[in-house]
Amino acid sequence: MSIEPAAAGWREYWAHGRGSAAFVIGLAVTALLVAVALVSLVWTPYPVDVMDIPAKLQPPSAAHWLGTDQFGRDVLSRLMAGAVNSIVVSLVAVGIGAGLGVPLGALAAARRGWIEEVVMRFNDFTFAFPALLSAVMITAILGPGAVNSIIAIGIFNVPVFARLTRGGALSLWKRDFVLAARVAGKGRTRISLEHILPNIAGLLIVQMTIQFALAILAEAGLSYLGLGTQPPAPSWGKMLNEAQTLLYLAPQLAIFPGLAIMVTVLGLNLLGDGLRDLLDPRLRRLR
Amino acid sequence: MSLLSVHGLSVTLETPAGPAAILQDVSFDLAAGGSLGLVGESGCGKSITALAVMGLLPERAQATGAIVFEGRDLLALPEAGLCKIRGRRLAMVFQEPMTALNPVKTIGFQVAEGLRWHLGLGRADAEARAIRLLDRVGLPQPRFSPALYPHQLSGGQRQRVVIAMALACDPALLIADEPTTALDVTSQAAILDLLAEVAAEAGLALLLITHDLAVVWQNTREMLVMYAGRVVERGLTRQVFERMAHPYTRALLAASPGALDAALPPGRRLATIPGLVPDPLHRPPGCVFASRCPRMRDDCLPAQPGERNLGPTHGVACLHPHREVMPV
Repeated sequence: MSIEPAAAGWREYWAHGRGSAAFVIGLAVTALLVAVALVSLVWTPYPVDVMDIPAKLQPPSAAHWLGTDQFGRDVLSRLMAGAVNSIVVSLVAVGIGAGLGVPLGALAAARRGWIEEVVMRFNDFTFAFPALLSAVMITAILGPGAVNSIIAIGIFNVPVFARLTRGGALSLWKRDFVLAARVAGKGRTRISLEHILPNIAGLLIVQMTIQFALAILAEAGLSYLGLGTQPPAPSWGKMLNEAQTLLYLAPQLAIFPGLAIMVTVLGLNLLGDGLRDLLDPRLRRLR
Repeated sequence: MSLLSVHGLSVTLETPAGPAAILQDVSFDLAAGGSLGLVGESGCGKSITALAVMGLLPERAQATGAIVFEGRDLLALPEAGLCKIRGRRLAMVFQEPMTALNPVKTIGFQVAEGLRWHLGLGRADAEARAIRLLDRVGLPQPRFSPALYPHQLSGGQRQRVVIAMALACDPALLIADEPTTALDVTSQAAILDLLAEVAAEAGLALLLITHDLAVVWQNTREMLVMYAGRVVERGLTRQVFERMAHPYTRALLAASPGALDAALPPGRRLATIPGLVPDPLHRPPGCVFASRCPRMRDDCLPAQPGERNLGPTHGVACLHPHREVMPV
């Protein structure tokens, strides 16, 4: 007999998750995105950067499934390669945001007093600027480029996670089981790690998937403005940007990257919802 | 020497309207293996006393006096020192078992974590001991797997888990703050019996906080009656019940349903105590109970009556205590 949760086996998680359409669709879309990105690292239908001017602006065909752009590059190949870009940007940006924001928020809730004031006022300060505008400012200072845009997006994820973590943690610090943990002799750090964070994990995961989606959108926006990924590297936002001037001539150039962004964002949100239900033992009715 | 000695404990709470004295000059001793009941109505300072002993007063509260536990003054101890004592030598059972357990951790984990943390037991040893503890508090295997989550148990069962957590590290003192208030009547008796049993078995001292006189009568050797942050009567439980010298103690008994007498005859209503507990911001200079007391006289108003002895083990803070033995 073990004190580990009996339901923690992957098989049982899956048995439960399978029942939720949102979770299955979200997982499938996310898995597809990752698979496409991985495949693009070793194989794309056409070389990503090679121009073929005579074959420019073709509609979808058997040779070019999603058509070609104004330089004759294969849209499908560029979408596949752009998926890598989107995944890296969102992973790193959410990583920066959650990696700094969650500890800051937990610290603020655990310590209260002036530490909380400093953290939260800094938060408010960061929040006071529209995130995308600030990202534009940061990339303007650091110079355009994929890495700088990732950092800029990441920095503006920090207050989102800090505020969410502090809010969730504050209400938990008032609960009896936290008092019970203090009665049991645990310090604030231990309580934060063992009691507070597991109880807001669901909240954080949902927020992470939302921020994933927002990071992809933000990267697309920055690239659209020419501050993100630099040509000729493929990015969904960049592709949208380039399609803008050709909207009447070749609408498919805007439609496919737009669809890719939409489906990915939708998939991540569905996955987040499903994960939250799965990770909460009260919602996971296995017995 | 006594295990726990509280001397002249006062607690003041900073409020926007000024400092409120929520505990005034509370003193008591509890011997190792002894049992002490703390009775009084809501807001009289029972729980604050428990939290003060635990060192878990709200941040705006300021405590003065001395709380000596196993020879150390807990009020003077830094937080890190308190953490080593809490859960190890001092344990506590809460009123509300529905919220006293972490909803996302298994009950086995929650019982075992104290063992791993305070006693440094390995995972397997802690698990084995957690299972024995659960068995001891009436949650036997395999019906009550340690892999269950709190929401899969009833209120009484959860309170048993809380007790198992409290007992885990063999504490010397167990504070039970209204341990049965949130439970239905049948679980109440079972939980109280369990508490008395495990306390006797492990030789641990029990500080039982309740508003229910019957619970005190059945489970404690000594008792303390508190009103508006002060101790108004103290003594051996048997003596206090025989005499009920303080008018407040009698009023409390008259207001409890079937504590000593049989069920109320139809049509008779339970007695209530007229008036309200004085606002801690504006306590009168005299006896705090004067405004509600049927025996109040002029000399009750100018100054707070000191405690006087009615016998070697019986004290009361009243100028005009009942002299006659309580007619039962």
